[in-house]
Amino acid sequence: MAAFEYRQAEEIRDALARHGVRYLFIGKSGAILLGFPDTTQDADLFVEKEPANARALVEGLRELGFALTSEQSAEIERGKDFVQLKNGPFDLDLVFAPDGIERFADAWRRRVDVDGFPVCHLDDIIASKEASNRRKDNESLPRLRSFRHYWLRHRR
Amino acid sequence: MSGQEESPIPIPSDWLEEFEAAARRPLPLRFRYAFVKTYKPVLDDAPYRAFETMEDYRRWCEECLPDWLGYGRV
Repeated sequence: MAAFEYRQAEEIRDALARHGVRYLFIGKSGAILLGFPDTTQDADLFVEKEPANARALVEGLRELGFALTSEQSAEIERGKDFVQLKNGPFDLDLVFAPDGIERFADAWRRRVDVDGFPVCHLDDIIASKEASNRRKDNESLPRLRSFRHYWLRHRR
Repeated sequence: MSGQEESPIPIPSDWLEEFEAAARRPLPLRFRYAFVKTYKPVLDDAPYRAFETMEDYRRWCEECLPDWLGYGRV
């Protein structure tokens, strides 16, 4: 599998918009959309955990080329907290209940639009990484917090 | 959540240079520099995984992934 490309991010944005899916880019992929210079492997989407939204998501994922079985679709629609997809044109992590963010509605209200991409506010991205308390996140947090100060001063 | 009213902390000069350079790049170019692909053992070996709770996922990461990947909690 090749690295995730910008045109694939556009495909996610456009397909999920067509299906009316409420989601946000989160994690390092979200930070990168906000301008954070770093490397990552996958895109992470924070998806609103509502049955109708999950059904729309499954339709959007199928349109994008993810080969979901009926059982997998049902699992996503039932609302698992975390789903890893490596059965499509690119790898995608679906997070329905990220650590450190209490409600999707709060993150949605604070979201940032970057060229039509709905992105979690950097404070939410940092909060979720702090709450997950993984070694790989803890290593990137000092630089991410520094970027937050830069971003708050310079964001347009 | 971090408050926006905090007084700014100094940003290390090398990081500041990187932030400013990134800000000058168009988004597609930022993507090209940011997304890389390397094989991650175990993690990349199944086409689909789903976890009922985040706690289940975190526990699976700690029990099944090599420690050096960094997915374990501190």
